[in-house]
Amino acid sequence: MQDAVLAMLAKEPSHGYHLHARLRRVLGPLGESMNRGQIYVTLARLERAGLVVCERADGLPERPERKVYALTPAGQQRVAAWLAEVGWPKPDLAEFHLKLAAAAAARLADPVELVAAQRRELLRHLREAQQAALAEPAGSGAGLLLEGVALRLQADLRWLDACERAWSGADDEVEGG
Amino acid sequence: MNVSSAVVRARGLVRTHGRGPGRVRAVDEVDLEVPQGQTLAVMGPSGCGKSTLLHLLGGLERPTGGEVWMDGRRIDTLSERALARMRRRSVGFVFQAFHLVEELTAAENVELPALLAGRSRRQARRRASLLLERVGLADRARHLPSRLSGGQRQRVAVARALVNDPLVVFADEPTGNLDTAATLDVLRIFEDLRAAGQTLVIVTHDERVAATADRLISMRDGMFVDDTRLAGTGTGTGTGTGTGTGTGWLGGLGGLIGLEG
Amino acid sequence: MGSVVLVVRLVLADLRRHKAQAAMLLLAVTVATATMALGLSLRGVSDALYEQTRAATAGPDVVALSGDTGPAVTAALASLADAPEVIAHHGPYRIVYATLSTRDSISSPVVVQGFAETPGAVNRPLVTSGRWVRSGGTVLERGFATALGVGVGDHVTIAGRSYPVVGIAVTAATSIYPWAAQVGPGGGPSDYSGLAWMTRADARTLASSKDLPVTSALDLKLRDPAAADAFRHAHRASDIRINFHSWQFTAVQDMVILGDSQPILVVGSWLLGFLAITGVAALAAGRAVEQTRRAGLLKAVGAAPGLIAAVLLTEYLALALAGDALGLVIARLTVPAIASPTASRIGDAPGPGGATVATATVLAVAVAVLSTLRPTLRAMRTATVTALSATAHQPRHRPWLTALSALLPTPLLLGLRLTARRPGRAVLQACSTATTVIALVALLTINAQPERGYGLDGSFALPNLRGEHDRRLMLAVTVLLVALAVVNTITFTWTTAMEARANMAVARTLGATPGQISAGLSAAQLLPSLPGAVLGVPLGVGLLSLFAARNAAEAPSASLLGAVLATLVATAALTALPARLAARRPVARILSAEAA
Repeated sequence: MQDAVLAMLAKEPSHGYHLHARLRRVLGPLGESMNRGQIYVTLARLERAGLVVCERADGLPERPERKVYALTPAGQQRVAAWLAEVGWPKPDLAEFHLKLAAAAAARLADPVELVAAQRRELLRHLREAQQAALAEPAGSGAGLLLEGVALRLQADLRWLDACERAWSGADDEVEGG
Repeated sequence: MNVSSAVVRARGLVRTHGRGPGRVRAVDEVDLEVPQGQTLAVMGPSGCGKSTLLHLLGGLERPTGGEVWMDGRRIDTLSERALARMRRRSVGFVFQAFHLVEELTAAENVELPALLAGRSRRQARRRASLLLERVGLADRARHLPSRLSGGQRQRVAVARALVNDPLVVFADEPTGNLDTAATLDVLRIFEDLRAAGQTLVIVTHDERVAATADRLISMRDGMFVDDTRLAGTGTGTGTGTGTGTGTGWLGGLGGLIGLEG
Repeated sequence: MGSVVLVVRLVLADLRRHKAQAAMLLLAVTVATATMALGLSLRGVSDALYEQTRAATAGPDVVALSGDTGPAVTAALASLADAPEVIAHHGPYRIVYATLSTRDSISSPVVVQGFAETPGAVNRPLVTSGRWVRSGGTVLERGFATALGVGVGDHVTIAGRSYPVVGIAVTAATSIYPWAAQVGPGGGPSDYSGLAWMTRADARTLASSKDLPVTSALDLKLRDPAAADAFRHAHRASDIRINFHSWQFTAVQDMVILGDSQPILVVGSWLLGFLAITGVAALAAGRAVEQTRRAGLLKAVGAAPGLIAAVLLTEYLALALAGDALGLVIARLTVPAIASPTASRIGDAPGPGGATVATATVLAVAVAVLSTLRPTLRAMRTATVTALSATAHQPRHRPWLTALSALLPTPLLLGLRLTARRPGRAVLQACSTATTVIALVALLTINAQPERGYGLDGSFALPNLRGEHDRRLMLAVTVLLVALAVVNTITFTWTTAMEARANMAVARTLGATPGQISAGLSAAQLLPSLPGAVLGVPLGVGLLSLFAARNAAEAPSASLLGAVLATLVATAALTALPARLAARRPVARILSAEAA
């Protein structure tokens, strides 16, 4: 999130509350979880790291609303490096996979049941994402983000289908043998 | 579940295709109740029997065994003529391939079931323009289906399914031929219908379509393998998180997009 | 060479796939060409039979007849026999006008010719059974004997006296039965008469005992038979009434009995050809999608448009030519019975002449080309990619009809919209119905004609052979036309049902009952049939007026109305079965098939 806040400042120096509003607008319903405090905590960290400078505007001191944040040259370099970066968040599937394997091996739980429960959970997430996407006006940036979330969840659900097939097959083999 | 509130009900429903050793049970001993106002999605891989189930519930196919009830009336024993009347009055269909009449305009397609049900031309026309307005195609009323996009065609088909105020709308892969944007258009209409208390049964293999339902049934080899209550008006025992309020986002999706500082 | 193999292979494969359609085209063309070949062969066959009879009986080139008696007549006839153009003669001999009755009390006018017991050089009737005349016995002309049902050994009563029939013979000196009289008593008009021969003495006795009217006749053989007419004009006597009958005149007179057969057959064959075109065109249109696809496939693998056209046309032409050959064979086999309704002539009927074969072939080729022209052209024109993805050719939107149909009850609503889908087919159906009604009008009109029987005073104890012949032919042609129209109607209904099956299945999901669907399919055929049937009546009357005699009677209006109604009821009944079959097909399966 630090990188995102930095990049937001690349256009022009900005107030903290202004930054918060811009982030919320881009994130749409997903930004609702973010409170202004998080922004100031992040900005404070960036300032300590020498990536932004805080210029106090006129009026009462120490009121966050009165602070305007701007990028330092180091901050600008960091933004450029961030944009050039090709790293991608990895979905962590190994943990769930190991959970199924462990449950089956120790006969702690039925892996098929675990898959079903997980599936229900993901479906609920997907439902929320879908409903949020439906509520977005066509062409909104947040809609695009929700589309990505939904596609991710869809991929996960399909993987769970594959898990279910595999584990119910394994079950049959055990019973048959 | 309160029987009187079930618009569609099936008991021990069986449908086999073919004979002898090649015989396939497309639908195998299925029990189902769809209460008034519920949006039910049926999911499964192709060939699992979900389309057959839909045809059985809508009276397009006759079951090999079991019973189908529609609005408290048993329909699997009805004559073809009575079935047709039942469809006219109580059921609307939406298909993957749209199945619009190619030589009729959008408005004329929507009017068709109303005319079949014996409404006057004026009533049919008024109802059709209202519904086309509702699906956002008022300005395309005089277009032939060939001049409409896939999504627009499907919206016309939805309007046509609604023209006789059906008790239940059956949709068979309604977004199967549509791109993402058109899918969202159709899902938005379904969402409006759901809000208005329309009973909907959607057969789909698209998780994203299924996820918009109140309840999701998974089918494999003609049988129900899972019945999940995602949310909604039903009185079931599902463990849903409620109907998508702001708090849901924090726990669920906020984490998914990795907003932690 | 390779492309010929390819064409043949594709044609054979297609024929195997569409056996019923191939059979229909073959049959339709066979029937049409057979009828046309028959109609065109009649004159030639009639002439050939006369020619053979004339050769076998030493037929005279000219027969001179006089109703008067006396020395002046005898002298005039004698001078004719001595004319320089004449190389041989027979007579003069008596022709006595009498009445003949059989044991079954069938009575007929008869002319009795007094002949020598040993025939001369000219006009030697050919005895086909029994023997030639002898004293007290009579020989009957074969056509007459056949109509009477009399054979050798029977007795007939002529002018009150009984004679045994000692023989049956044919002659070329007179026209076929019942035109044996040539002239009436005193050179006046004659009744339908048969011909009998007796010895000269018996004929004289017959005439004098009852004071019967007599005509003197003289058979002449000319040096130049072709100059018979010139001879006639040169020897027209001023003071004595002598009638000359040239052999050409007699031959033409033979055709009178076939006077209506020819138009019945030829016009019938046009109508049959027309029905064949409508039926096959409907089939071809029904297959247009498939053909377009096939053309697309061929184009995609690099075939030239010429090859595509060749494949499409070869199939229809091959079938049409096979039908043509079959039709000509049928015509050849049936022509003796049809070209010679009496037994008055002998000899073998020749096969259809070159002109007839050519005309029938043109008809067959026309049926093939006209019925496939549109799909062929369309298939050639359509771009490859479009053709490959062709599902169905897009029916046009007809806001007018759609709006009108919205006011009607469901079956008519569906029917009108189905009709509007395929206006071309509606026109074909209307034409098919109109053709049927034209045939029925002709049949009714021919049956309504007043006629005299060939018996005494027009008695129907001896039926009017010409009328019977006409009615039988008309009935046969009508039956063929109706049969083709029936096949057409069933084809149209089935094709409509198959093309509209997706829409009809959709209508059923929207709540239309199977009954409404099948009624709609029937209505789709009946709607164009109605104007077709109504138009058929004036068309039929108009067509008949081209061939009918001026004093021809018209068929009663009630029966014409009946024909129209019967046609419509029959159409409704015929469409009911395919429509019901189509409406009973399971909806779910049709929709899944369409979606796939």
